[in-house]
Amino acid sequence: MTSVSGHVLAIRDLRAGYGRRVVLENISMTLAPGDWYVLLGPNGCGKSTLLDCVAGRLVAGGGEISIAGFSLVADPYEAKLRLGYACAPDALPALLTARQCLEVHAGAKGLSAIAEDIFLLAEELNFTPYLESFVDTLSLGTRQKLAVLLALVGDPLLIVLDEAFNGLDPASALGVKRHLRARLDRRGGAVLLATHSLDIVEHYADRAAVLIDGRLKKEWQQDEIRQLRTSHGDFEAALAQSIRMS
Amino acid sequence: MIALLNLFSVKSSRLAGAPRLMAAYLMRSNRAAPQRLVPPILLGLGGVLAFVLLYAERDWVEESIQWLRHQILAATGLAIIVSAIATARRRVSKRAEFARSWLAALPVRARIAGWETLFIETLPAAAAVGALTGVYLAVTVVAAFTPAHGGSASLVWAAMSGGVMLGAILSYGIPNPKPIDLPPGSRYVPHRRVAKTSTVRPSLKALGLWPLRLMFARAQPKLVARAILPILVLMPLGTLAADAMVIIAFYMVGGALLLLIPAAISVSGLSARWMAPLPVRGFAVTRAVLIPTLIAIVGASAAEGLFLFAIGASLRASAIAGSVLAGAGCLLTMTAARLWRARTPSARSRG
Repeated sequence: MTSVSGHVLAIRDLRAGYGRRVVLENISMTLAPGDWYVLLGPNGCGKSTLLDCVAGRLVAGGGEISIAGFSLVADPYEAKLRLGYACAPDALPALLTARQCLEVHAGAKGLSAIAEDIFLLAEELNFTPYLESFVDTLSLGTRQKLAVLLALVGDPLLIVLDEAFNGLDPASALGVKRHLRARLDRRGGAVLLATHSLDIVEHYADRAAVLIDGRLKKEWQQDEIRQLRTSHGDFEAALAQSIRMS
Repeated sequence: MIALLNLFSVKSSRLAGAPRLMAAYLMRSNRAAPQRLVPPILLGLGGVLAFVLLYAERDWVEESIQWLRHQILAATGLAIIVSAIATARRRVSKRAEFARSWLAALPVRARIAGWETLFIETLPAAAAVGALTGVYLAVTVVAAFTPAHGGSASLVWAAMSGGVMLGAILSYGIPNPKPIDLPPGSRYVPHRRVAKTSTVRPSLKALGLWPLRLMFARAQPKLVARAILPILVLMPLGTLAADAMVIIAFYMVGGALLLLIPAAISVSGLSARWMAPLPVRGFAVTRAVLIPTLIAIVGASAAEGLFLFAIGASLRASAIAGSVLAGAGCLLTMTAARLWRARTPSARSRG
């Protein structure tokens, strides 16, 4: 895979919506190698729409998205080759087995084999016994684990996760968070995560932003998050205060 | 506008104590106006068409009514049995559905709950009585224009409607049928049990299995059994067992094709959506999804040709029928899959 010299993800003046309804407007952001970027915001503010645009599931109305320097519009193949997206658990194909889902993802990325660390993570998440099960027989949490594993196939530079910790038991959620952190430290890619869990911002995120009514209202850089962590006893209250002041 | 809103709130507040009916009413109200108008318009047009047909075929209608008049006991008995079984089945399914519903935990007064349940469970029986009444009125109007006709319609209407109502009442006296709890679709999919996890081999091949599995998931054993019954009933007496087997096989393969083609079309859309974030060209996905299906269609069409030959069609006619079926099936699948894929949200430009 190519080494990262510039931005892993660059979004410029993104505009997107559904029909006449504009959901996102003037969104610009960049993710540098090693960034764990958390997207916060109330329900319906456009987080999932933004991730759908980054994953190429939704064609933006305007603006540019590039992954590792490759435009999602001009060169979608190269851009998507460097992207790992965890879809919603109910979007997984019900009548394929978990193993077949992995095979399809690996086949689409042109891999000859799946890296050992995916199987190690599957083992850690206690997912291996479900590899031969049909997706429609899996519980919500198990399907969520499969969605995360699929996002990691092909060692992508950019990992996009939409509420990926919903339904995961605490041990599995911790396993995934640690795996992602270790992967970022080793690989130098980036994680873009939409979530409501402030503990991830507190313990794992390098940068965070809050999206309100389709606009990025406030963005915290690495040193600001570090400051929030150290100077306040109550991280959640400090973060809320910071949003109010913006 | 305000008057409309008031009217809406009055109607919905009257149903406020009956949450299931209120939810159904609100869902209907939420539909766009043109969608709400379609059923009454269709009903009106259907009524006019039925009236014209009844008038055009008034002699045949009169004969049918006379025939029913002579078979009145059997017809009433049949109406009672069908109505009782259908109402009992609906009762079981509606109660199971309500137990899982988002409204299940709401407090409803016992008297209102009883009426609400009775209304929901006997709605089809009431609709059947309404339909019989509509036909009866139409026949009466037709009879009014043709003095020579008329007569027994009232008796037939009263007996049939009474039978339906009696059946609905009697259904509460018969034991509940076995509840139908739909299991996951994969339960009906033939799948090789793997004792040990096999190696993961990157490939798009699994996409090709998806339409075939969807076909099996939709063809549940109960549906297959119900599809075979009329074929067996319609088979003339004296049919040889070998011929009967061939005829059943002919219909089964045809049925499989009828399920496989829509399955392949819907999978082409589903796979396009699921695979959108992956670096794979749309053509590769379509090819992976459709090639096994197209092979299955060609194979099934060849089998249909063979079955036709076996039941006495000429070799030429059988070959032509098989070829036409294969060609039409493949063309329909490819075209519809392409159109379906193009209209999936992942392929549309938005914003």
